[in-house]
Amino acid sequence: MIMRFIYQLGSPPYFYALSGRLLPWLSGICLILFATGLYGGLVLAPADYQQGDSFRIIYIHVPAAWMSMFVYMVMAFSGAMALIWRIKIAEIILINSAHIGAVFTFLALVTGSIWGKPMWGTWWVWDARLTSELLLLFLYLGVLALYSAIDDKRKAARAVAILALVGVVNIPIIHYSVEWWSTLHQGPTITKFDKPSIDTRMLIPLLLMAVAHKFLYAIVVLLRARNDLLWRERRSQWVATLFKDGS
Amino acid sequence: MLQAFFIILQRDLILAIRHRAELMNPVLFFVLVVVLFPLGIGAEATILERIAPAIIWIAALLSALLSLDRIFRTDMEDGSLEQMLISAQPMSLLILAKIIAHWLITGLPVVIVGPLLALFLGLSIEGIETLFITLLLGTPILSAIGSVGVALTVGLRRGGVILSLLVLPLYVPVLIFASQAVDAAASGFPPVAAIAMLSALLLLSLSLTPWAASAALKMSVS
Amino acid sequence: MHPLRKRRLILIIIMIIGVATATGFALVAFNQNLMFYFSPSDVQAGKAPVNRLFRMGGIVVDGSVKRSDTSTEVWFDITDNEKAVTVKYDGILPDLFREGQGIISKGKLNNKGEFVAEEVLAKHDENYMPPEVAASMKKKLPEDIKE
Repeated sequence: MIMRFIYQLGSPPYFYALSGRLLPWLSGICLILFATGLYGGLVLAPADYQQGDSFRIIYIHVPAAWMSMFVYMVMAFSGAMALIWRIKIAEIILINSAHIGAVFTFLALVTGSIWGKPMWGTWWVWDARLTSELLLLFLYLGVLALYSAIDDKRKAARAVAILALVGVVNIPIIHYSVEWWSTLHQGPTITKFDKPSIDTRMLIPLLLMAVAHKFLYAIVVLLRARNDLLWRERRSQWVATLFKDGS
Repeated sequence: MLQAFFIILQRDLILAIRHRAELMNPVLFFVLVVVLFPLGIGAEATILERIAPAIIWIAALLSALLSLDRIFRTDMEDGSLEQMLISAQPMSLLILAKIIAHWLITGLPVVIVGPLLALFLGLSIEGIETLFITLLLGTPILSAIGSVGVALTVGLRRGGVILSLLVLPLYVPVLIFASQAVDAAASGFPPVAAIAMLSALLLLSLSLTPWAASAALKMSVS
Repeated sequence: MHPLRKRRLILIIIMIIGVATATGFALVAFNQNLMFYFSPSDVQAGKAPVNRLFRMGGIVVDGSVKRSDTSTEVWFDITDNEKAVTVKYDGILPDLFREGQGIISKGKLNNKGEFVAEEVLAKHDENYMPPEVAASMKKKLPEDIKE
């Protein structure tokens, strides 16, 4: 049953039709989530006791940082699918996720350093999270560079799939090593005294924003994948009939 | 199976010894990079001693990166790589042989020269001992991870820059644990944890990278 | 068994042994105290080395901050709610530094039992809460210290 669904999804015309029907719904939900999340975060949530209003950047920064990891996981997963079953859609999702993931990572870095300016007094600290985020950006850029360097795009997709899988094994190691490095250089956060906690009125908008970002990613990746698919299949029968009927 | 492993190992070593000039290049590069640091920073002993582990390890990373291409490039050009791929031998094992050969040619000289250079940078004896151990454990990891990067880029005409972009972020843990171990030893703490992590990384990379590299080669050559 | 299958099985077993041993080494590393980090209690108990660089963390004791009139030298006590150690620092303290704030300092212990810091970092804690909640938590804190 599930396998049949995957194979069906692997067929380009089916994927194109299904994603076309899904997109309006996704966009609607995404818009509502962003509206409620932003209103809750910027208006309803109280100011922080130490950082005042400047903590509100959390509603972009943290979801973007979560997305940067999530998108890599999606890439690795579709990479595995592309390698094992040779599904063309998986290849397309993989490579089009890389652009979006890189953008989210970049966004997390930029908002992180904007946040760092009032909090730490500098634009950049070699903090564990910032540093591993920076390394993640390099991993994304590596994926993009490799993809654009190989002319045969099917071959390129397979190369990128292998790289994404190698990366996914390495991300925990890199993350741990950076964390370890920064605790040695900066000292541990004093969780001994204060357990990390966040007020519910602040948490709910954050979760809403996180889900909204996931929807945004789904929309962008579907739009990109549809474009890419049409271009790759431009000589095939179904694209020809599609455009005859459409125009 | 084991025979094929040793034949490849022997072949790569003989090929390297025949090109004696090329054999010296990575280690010469390594020495040069290390020498550049005091020239750039100034000969202040305290600073040099403090950053000696980082200097040596970054130089080791760069010299490994410089020589990575030779793992597969020449074999790709003369067609022997294709022979290996279609042979009945398991490709991952042959790749392991090539990784070990690469380390013996380019890594081992660095392991020997590195501690000597550390002496010039004023690292303490405890630091030098640990540096030797970290180099011994760490440089094979560089060859192993590098083999995947080369396997992915070997078919490209200008693979060099992309290779460094792919491989350097993956080298970060080695750099961190190795220089941390030396730092710890130099300031009088036992470096056990970092060395255990390096051993773990070495075993992990030696057992997993040949598979990834073989999948990548099949893609590159086809 | 088919020789090809057998060969593949051997390779896979070797790989699994490799990964398992790697995990073993990683566990050894995790069990080490790799922090070169001591609490004020450790320092008072004489566990920390003299004249070697390490880190010490704790809360700045209320009313213990003394500033020199002529230089940027600062003295203050930090505590882990059990013992306190005097820290001497020459430099500009971070903005978030205040009494009752958790800090991390890196430096060496001198012969007088003072911690001579080279670096003082105020870590922002990972709590996000409105001011009134923070105020109520502050009220509770002195009781904790008395214990």
